[in-house]
Amino acid sequence: MPVSPDLPASDAPPPGQGIAIAAESLYLINLLLLPGPAFLALLGLFFRYRRDAPPLARIHLQQTLSASLWAGVLLIVANLLIVVLGGYDSGWTWVVAILYFTTAHTTLVFFGIFGLARAMAGQPYRYPLVGNLWS
Amino acid sequence: MQLQYKSQAVAKPYFIAAIGLFVGQILFGLILGLQYVVGDLLFPAIPFNIARMVHTNLLIVWLLFGFMGAAYYLVPEEAETELHSPLLAHLMFWIFLVAGALTIVGYLMVPYASLADMTGNNILATMGREFLEQPLLTKIGIVVVALAFLYNIGMTILKGRKTALSLILLTGLVGLAVLFLFAFYNPANLVKDKYFWWWVVHLWVEGVWELIMAAILGFVLLKITGVDREVIEKWLYVIITMALVTGIIGTGHHYYWIGAPGYWQWWGGIFSAMEPLPFFAMTVFCFNMVNRRRREHPNKAATLWALGTGVMAFLGAGVWGFLHTLAPVNYYTHGTQITAAHGHLAFFGAYVMVVLTIISYAMPMLRGREANPERAQVLEMWAFWLMTVSMVFITLFLTGAGILQVWLQRVIPDPQEFMVVQDQLALFYWLRWIAGAVFSTGLVVYLYSFFAKDKPQTAEVGAAQPAAS
Repeated sequence: MPVSPDLPASDAPPPGQGIAIAAESLYLINLLLLPGPAFLALLGLFFRYRRDAPPLARIHLQQTLSASLWAGVLLIVANLLIVVLGGYDSGWTWVVAILYFTTAHTTLVFFGIFGLARAMAGQPYRYPLVGNLWS
Repeated sequence: MQLQYKSQAVAKPYFIAAIGLFVGQILFGLILGLQYVVGDLLFPAIPFNIARMVHTNLLIVWLLFGFMGAAYYLVPEEAETELHSPLLAHLMFWIFLVAGALTIVGYLMVPYASLADMTGNNILATMGREFLEQPLLTKIGIVVVALAFLYNIGMTILKGRKTALSLILLTGLVGLAVLFLFAFYNPANLVKDKYFWWWVVHLWVEGVWELIMAAILGFVLLKITGVDREVIEKWLYVIITMALVTGIIGTGHHYYWIGAPGYWQWWGGIFSAMEPLPFFAMTVFCFNMVNRRRREHPNKAATLWALGTGVMAFLGAGVWGFLHTLAPVNYYTHGTQITAAHGHLAFFGAYVMVVLTIISYAMPMLRGREANPERAQVLEMWAFWLMTVSMVFITLFLTGAGILQVWLQRVIPDPQEFMVVQDQLALFYWLRWIAGAVFSTGLVVYLYSFFAKDKPQTAEVGAAQPAAS
């Protein structure tokens, strides 16, 4: 199979791309750098644009907000698990914390990376599980 | 289909040697994995320390073969000119291969201390340090090969087009060669020894190798996606800047507990906490380029390897690196199976996968076709998933072993001795070995994919046949 001829490229960004990128960025910043304030900013962005934003922006806003809320729920569940397994001084704290960090948290970060890459390409993205269950 | 430049063909033996040595590395990995739980397996023929040395040295050598092959393949295409001297490239290939093979045979056949005596370690003592165990003669051979290689690549770039991709690659390769010179500096003071040892080991894998990786990934993505070169170059500038800014001072995360000044705990902690950034950017870069692709390249397997490299490098180098990079955490985890978990996933995700990416892209071209037959690609993608998923499990099992090891050996009020703890990690080691066996299966499938052909289409009896033209 030969290489396909170059597809036509459009230089104009699709409507709503800026908001979509901002939403994905805030989602990632909330997970990686500034938990809390970045989520509040995302929440602000969501309520500011949820009705009148172009479809591309809306889907990224909905998905990132849904995934952020799920991330919060998972964090609470991880902490409850630690408490149930003997409290923060128990050896299980590290087992749960490290497993949570390397599996759940990292998966959420990867979703954000994929979402950001799609937003930067002007394409929609639906988060597996944590996006679908909310919307 | 012909190569754009005939001299690109010198990459082929480098790639074949790389894959051959990769197989050797995995075989010794399997032996090592079993020795963790069956302590006297193959003793005294292949003691644990020798098997480990062969496993890690083979890794380094085959990756170097891969990098050289990648450079010989991509530089003529980037420079738009034939390689300066294909003959020199062939000559260096054989010198490097024979020297490497003799070194491994030496490790296996001669006691290490005798090997040191036989190879001039008394003249300049360079042996006996992790990853840099090679005899003096081999180290000198590596320098000669590296210089000839850089001369060849450098002259090719000088006479041809200079692109950001080839210059980033060249910078990485020069850095690789220069930093290797610290392998010859072996001060008697143990603190200084470790201090400068990291200038080779850390500044390779968390510094200049990232440049090589970025250049190779950039080249493959440029070819398979058709995205504008300017876009790819801008991404690469960001990635390599972050790699160098964080990686160089991030060396400090190795200086926490070796006798270096205390300020390294802050410098090392802050900068190495930022080290996931270039890998994060690389993942976004890979997916962004594929999402914005302007052509459908028939080599689907190469695209998968490229995307996989981004993801797994971020996971292994970024996430598992960050896990134990801060001084208060590293105080407990230093030198445990947590380190082994990080080492396995980071090396696989970043460097093994990027070499397999360029092999996946270039090897079909070197064999005279745009892409491998459909069936070969399906097999290669199976190999991708088998190796990648099993490596994730190897990492998870080693992480589990590491958590338990840290707890029993360093946290509980009455800490247990190293070997007592090792016995209690046996379950994790068995599980790791099973995952390693699956990885080996993936490697066999990968090897087989090179020989797989599409099955001939069989027409049903009575079905309409196309008219001969």
